[in-house]
Amino acid sequence: MPSLKEIKQRISSVTSTRQVTSAMKMVSAAKLQKAQQWILNARPYSDELDKILLSLATRTRRDVHPLLREANPEDVKSIAIIVVTADKGLCGAFNVNIIKKTEQVIKNHKNKNIELICVGKKGGTYFKKRGHTVREEYIDFFNKLKFDHSRDIMNLVTSSFLEGRYDQILIVYNEFKSAIQQNVVEKQLLPLHELEKTDDRFLASYLFEPEETALLEELIKKHLDVQIWRVLLESSSAEQGARMAAMDAATDNADEMIKDLTLEYHHKRQDKITKEIIEVASTAEVIR
Amino acid sequence: MNDNNKPNNKLHLKITTPIGIFLEKDVDEIVAPGSEGYFGVQYGHTPFLTSIRPGILKIFAQDSEKIYSIHNGFVIVNFDEISILTEIIEKPEDVDKARAKRARERAEKRLKEKKEGTDFRRAEVALRRALARLQVSQK
Repeated sequence: MPSLKEIKQRISSVTSTRQVTSAMKMVSAAKLQKAQQWILNARPYSDELDKILLSLATRTRRDVHPLLREANPEDVKSIAIIVVTADKGLCGAFNVNIIKKTEQVIKNHKNKNIELICVGKKGGTYFKKRGHTVREEYIDFFNKLKFDHSRDIMNLVTSSFLEGRYDQILIVYNEFKSAIQQNVVEKQLLPLHELEKTDDRFLASYLFEPEETALLEELIKKHLDVQIWRVLLESSSAEQGARMAAMDAATDNADEMIKDLTLEYHHKRQDKITKEIIEVASTAEVIR
Repeated sequence: MNDNNKPNNKLHLKITTPIGIFLEKDVDEIVAPGSEGYFGVQYGHTPFLTSIRPGILKIFAQDSEKIYSIHNGFVIVNFDEISILTEIIEKPEDVDKARAKRARERAEKRLKEKKEGTDFRRAEVALRRALARLQVSQK
């Protein structure tokens, strides 16, 4: 049985932990709001870009550009997976879910050559330790996210794809559903196959400069760029959401613990007082 | 197009970047650095889509002239609407002159030395970008 003093120490240590967790929760809430604003800001640009790309791509033939050319599944030999985790822990199952999903994806492509591109410290550390090929790591930028970061990643994957180093590029990340819900998503970035038929009258009578195919390549690259940018923003929002939820739960747990410990403390204290009174009383009895 | 309140012969300009809408207003004319050279757009231009290269974007509205340094992206013209999508656009007062100067020197040096393995296209783009920044900031 712990002594009174020990219980008191535990109460004070839980109290200070609670302070930390509740502060982290508030910080995450503020960051989450900012990150959500970024997502909203990115939307007009990506919508507009997608509109042009779609109508330009539907005007041209499917196999006109290597970035659009879908390979047969058996011809896919080498795959790059972009794994988006966080730089920090203390955000519940956020990183674990991504790592599990990635391992599953790797298992699904057993006979293929797989290289990982890790965004965020957690994924890189985990997969390097387990002997996976990590082509590149991008760390420590979620605090000051800039469009350059997504451009770097885009340049790396498109140039390796065009060189023929990879036949397919996948990305695994946490999609932001709501402040308390994240979904792990696996998506194919390249070859680009999400282009569905749309209203191709939009660009029907347009003049193009330079000619369509050259424009198409630039547009595809920009599209990928913005896709990755959105993934980074989504992931960083999801991370803050997950951290907020985790810290909220931790704060609740700490409250519960403090309550229990305080109760125990008072029990002990009263026991001690009763014992002392009994002692005094019985001594008095004896003396009389 | 269906906005009846809009004054006649004005272009509705919208500049969008990945971090938000940079500018949205009615203008008379713009001059932009297209991939095949500078071009101007006024009301009633043929529908037109082009990519842009680093250079100076001029916007004319009500006797005022505004300039910006712009680095890449696309211009879409649709009769009375013009939409510019770009990743980087800067007002003259936002240009970091010292950085642009350093970038120009670096690019010039790389182009002059003609070392093997130099990516000339990249150096050229960097030089254009730096020059556009400097030119804008001096006005």
